[in-house]
Amino acid sequence: MEAVLRNLAGTAELLAVAGRSGVVEQWDEQTLSRAFDWARYCEHVFTRFHNNPGMRRIMEKQLQLTNQSLQAVFPAYTDVSFSDLSQCQHLLLVGLLSNPELPSSIMKILFDSMSPANTKQSEYQGVSGLCSRIIQCKSACKVLSPLTDVSAVGADAEVQGAMLMEELAALLSQSSEACRAEHFLDSVLQGCDGAAHHFCLVIAAALLTTTNSAAQTASQDFLLDWLQRKPSELQHMCSTLPATLVIDLSKRHLKFRDAYCVVLKNWASDMEYSISDGEWVQTGTNQTSVSFQRLTEHFLALLEACPSLREGVVKELNVLKISDGDFDVRGLSVWGDLLSIINK
Amino acid sequence: MSQLQIQLQQTAEPLLNVQEMQFWLDKAVAWGQADSPDTRKDTCLHLSRLRDFLQQLLTHINNMNSTTETMKTLPFLGQFLGRLCWNPYVTAEATSRRLLFQCLWGLYTEHPGNAVERKANQWIRKVLCQLATEDDDAAAQTLMKHTGVPPEEYHLKVLRKRVALLQQNIGKSCSSLGDINQRCSCDSLLAASEACVPLVTCPEAAPLIGTLLQQPVTCVRAALSEDFLDALSSAYSRYQRLSLEEQAVVSLWYHNLSSLEEAVLRLLECVLTKTGLTMQKLKQRLTESLLPKACAQHCSIFLVVNDIFRSILKQAEGTESVKYLIQIFTSCFLRELDLLQHQTSVPLKALFPQSPQSLLVPLVTLPSEMPQEAWRHHLNWLSGSLQRLTEEEEEGDGDSSSSTRGHHNVFDAWFLLVQCAHWVQAAVQLLVTSGPEDCGPLMWLLTFYHHPTNRGHHRALQLVHAKEAWDHLRSLFSVVARPLPVDRLQSLVTLLSSQPQRPSASPLLILNLLVNFAVFFQQSLSGSTEILQTVVERSGLVDEAACVLSSLELRLNEGSCLSSDANRVHLRIKALQNTITHMCAASSPAEN
Repeated sequence: MEAVLRNLAGTAELLAVAGRSGVVEQWDEQTLSRAFDWARYCEHVFTRFHNNPGMRRIMEKQLQLTNQSLQAVFPAYTDVSFSDLSQCQHLLLVGLLSNPELPSSIMKILFDSMSPANTKQSEYQGVSGLCSRIIQCKSACKVLSPLTDVSAVGADAEVQGAMLMEELAALLSQSSEACRAEHFLDSVLQGCDGAAHHFCLVIAAALLTTTNSAAQTASQDFLLDWLQRKPSELQHMCSTLPATLVIDLSKRHLKFRDAYCVVLKNWASDMEYSISDGEWVQTGTNQTSVSFQRLTEHFLALLEACPSLREGVVKELNVLKISDGDFDVRGLSVWGDLLSIINK
Repeated sequence: MSQLQIQLQQTAEPLLNVQEMQFWLDKAVAWGQADSPDTRKDTCLHLSRLRDFLQQLLTHINNMNSTTETMKTLPFLGQFLGRLCWNPYVTAEATSRRLLFQCLWGLYTEHPGNAVERKANQWIRKVLCQLATEDDDAAAQTLMKHTGVPPEEYHLKVLRKRVALLQQNIGKSCSSLGDINQRCSCDSLLAASEACVPLVTCPEAAPLIGTLLQQPVTCVRAALSEDFLDALSSAYSRYQRLSLEEQAVVSLWYHNLSSLEEAVLRLLECVLTKTGLTMQKLKQRLTESLLPKACAQHCSIFLVVNDIFRSILKQAEGTESVKYLIQIFTSCFLRELDLLQHQTSVPLKALFPQSPQSLLVPLVTLPSEMPQEAWRHHLNWLSGSLQRLTEEEEEGDGDSSSSTRGHHNVFDAWFLLVQCAHWVQAAVQLLVTSGPEDCGPLMWLLTFYHHPTNRGHHRALQLVHAKEAWDHLRSLFSVVARPLPVDRLQSLVTLLSSQPQRPSASPLLILNLLVNFAVFFQQSLSGSTEILQTVVERSGLVDEAACVLSSLELRLNEGSCLSSDANRVHLRIKALQNTITHMCAASSPAEN
C-alpha cells in the first residue's frame, strides 16, 4: 500500500516535471518509455480502486499532499486529482508536447511513423510512434464517419452510451452508493451542457443497448427513473430524436413509453387554436417547439408501434374532450381534434 | 535519399515548380473548405500523387540550407502543410502521414537564428501537439472524464465501432440480381471501398477491408473501387503483410492482378537471392506465401501464376532453384486442390491447358501412388512419349508451318515435366540400380530434363557424356578397395566442372546422379561418404549437393521415395548432409 502511494506521488511529480521543467532536455528514449510506463501504472491503479471508496480516499489524500508540495515548486501548478489518473498517459503527453524545452529528438520518437503497427491491437506498442498511432486512429474515425453516421444513433453515441452503462452498472453494484450513480448522471448531463442533442443520443443509445445481464437491466431501469425526473431532457429527447429512435425506445421500455405519452399530452395541453393560422400552435416559453402536425404524427406512430395503448389513449382523450365540452367542431378542443385524427 | 540527392546534383533543373505547388495548394484549400462526397472522392483519388509530391517537397526541403531559405523559395509551404495536417484522409494513411511529418521536421531548426525560424519552430510544435491531444468534442470529454476511459482508448473504441457497423451494413446481401434500376445495398460497397483508400495501412480497418474483399460479386453494382484495389496492392508490396487475414489476401489477388503478380515476383526474388535455401525452407516459404491455397480456391489465380513461371523459365531455362520452386509449388497446389475437391471438381485439363493431354495424368500421378515395380515401365513409357514428341519437333524444323507448333509442344511437355519432376527424381533413383541394358530411356529422360532444347543437335553428345558419368559412378561406387582410384575420381570431377565450350552433360545432372548413388547404392556409408565428399570438395559444388540431399529428404518425408527401408535411407541422407554441412563450414568460416 505504501509502495502504491509512493508511486502515485512520484508519478504526480513526474507529470509536473514533464510539463513544466527544463529537466526534459536530458530525456532520452528510455526515460520517455519509463515515464509512460509509470503513467500506465497509475491508470491501472485507478481502474482497480476507483470504485473502492476507502482506498480512493487514502489515495486522494496522498495526492493532495503531493499537490501542495508541487505548488510550492511550480508556479501556476494545476492539481492532479485521483480521477485525473484515469487519463494519466494523456496528461503526460499533453504536458510533454506543450513543454517548449522538450527536445525535438523526443518529439520525433513520439511522432515516428515508420511502419504500420502490425502487432496485435491489444498489446502495448511502446512510445515510439505513440502520437502517430493516435493521429491515425482519430483520422480513421473521421474518414469513416460520413459512412457510419447514417445509422440512427451514430458510432460516437453508441460507444459513449456503452461507457455510460458500464460505469452505471459498476456504481450500482455497490448497493450503498445509489446516490453516487445519480451524481454521476447529473455530472454527465452538466458536462454536456451545450450539446443537448448529443446527450439525448447518448441516453438513447444507452437505453437501446441489448442487456445480457440483470445488472444491465437494473442500470437501464435506474437511468429511466432518473430521466423521468428530468422533464426538459425528456422533452428534448422526444422532440429532437429521429422518430424511429423514439419508437424503438417506447417499444423497449414501458417506463419510457408512458413518459413519452405524458410528454405528448403536455404538449397538446399547451396548445391554443390560432384562428389566423387555422391551426393549433404552441404557447408558452416551452423550449421545444412542436407543430400540431408533428404532434399528431407522434401520436399515430406511437399507437401503430404499441397497439395495446390505443384503447387507453382513446379513452383518455375522450374524457378530456368531454371535459372541453364534447364538441365535434374543429378548433374547439385539441383533444377532440387529436381524437378525430387518431380515429380515422 | 542520397541517390535522389545525387540525381539533383546531376540535373540542373529544380524538381519543384511553382505551378505544381499552386495546384496542390489549391487542392488543399478546396478539400478543407467543404466536406462533401465529391471532395472526399477527390482526395482519395489524388492520394498517391500527393504522396509523390510530398516526397519531392521533402527532398527540396532537405536540400535547402535553412528554413529561412526554404520559406523564401516556397512562401506558402507552411500554409500548405498546415492544411494537410488537418485533413484526415492525409493523416490516416501511413506514408502520407510520415512524409508530412518529415516535411515539418525538415522545417524545424535546432538552433533558430532569426524570427522566421523561431516562429516556424513554435508553429510546428503547436500543430503537432494539437493533432495528438486536442479534442473538441465536449460530450465525449465529459463522458471520458466521468467514466475513467482515457482518450486513446476512447478513440480506439469508436474506430472499432465504426468498422463493425460498416461491416454489418456491407454484410447484408443483395438480391437485386443484376437489375440496374433497382437500388440495393451494394452501392454502399463502392462508397465504403473508396473511403477505405487511406485506411489500407490502418490495422483496425483490416476486418472491414477483409469483408469488402470477400463480398461475393452478386450484383452489377457490387464493385470495389479501383483506387481502393490499387492502394491495397501498393501497400501490400511496400509492407510485407498487412494485417489482412488469409482469405482477404486471397480475395485481393483475385480482384487485383498486379498484387498477385507482385506476390509471385516477391517469392521468386526470395528464392533466387537466398543461397543455401533447403527444400523444407522453400516449401515453408511457399506455404506461408498462401499462393498454393489461393490457386486451389481460384483456378484463374493458378493459371496466372503458372504463366509467370512459364515465362521465367522460357527466358532462363537453367535456373535450378526456380525449377525446384515450380515442382514444389505444383505439388503443394495439387495437394491443396485435393483438400478442396469435394466442393468443386476441376478437370486437370482446365488447370494445365497448354500441356500435352496424353502426358498429363501419367506425369501428375505421384510415384508413391503406384508400386515401385511399376516405376520402370512407367518411366520407360514417359521417356518414349517425350522422345517421340521431340523427334516430331526436330523433324519439322525445316517445315515452317509445323515447327512453331512443335516448339510449343516440346516446351510445354518439358514444363509439365518440370512441374512433375518427382518422376525425374524417380528416374535418377532407378538409374542407381539399373544395368547398362535398361538405363537408356531413364538416361534420356534425365538429359531432357536438364537440356530441353536440342540446340545444334547436341543432345546425342550430352547423352553420351551422361552415360559416361554414370559408368564412372557405377565403377567408383563398386570399388571396395581403398584408396579410391584417382583417375576415375578425377574424370568425374572434370565432368562436374562445367566447361561451356564443348557440349557436355549438365554438371547438375551428374551431381544429382552422384548424390543418388551415394544414398542408394549398396555401398558402406563410410565408402559412399568418402566418394561424395572428395568429388564435391574438388568440384566445389557444395551448395548444390546440399540442395539435392534436402530434396531427397523432402521426398522421403512425403513418402515419394518408396524405399523398403525408409529408415536406413533417412539415416544415410542425414549422415551425408552432416558431411556436406561440415564442408560448408570449413570452406567459409566467415559465414559462421
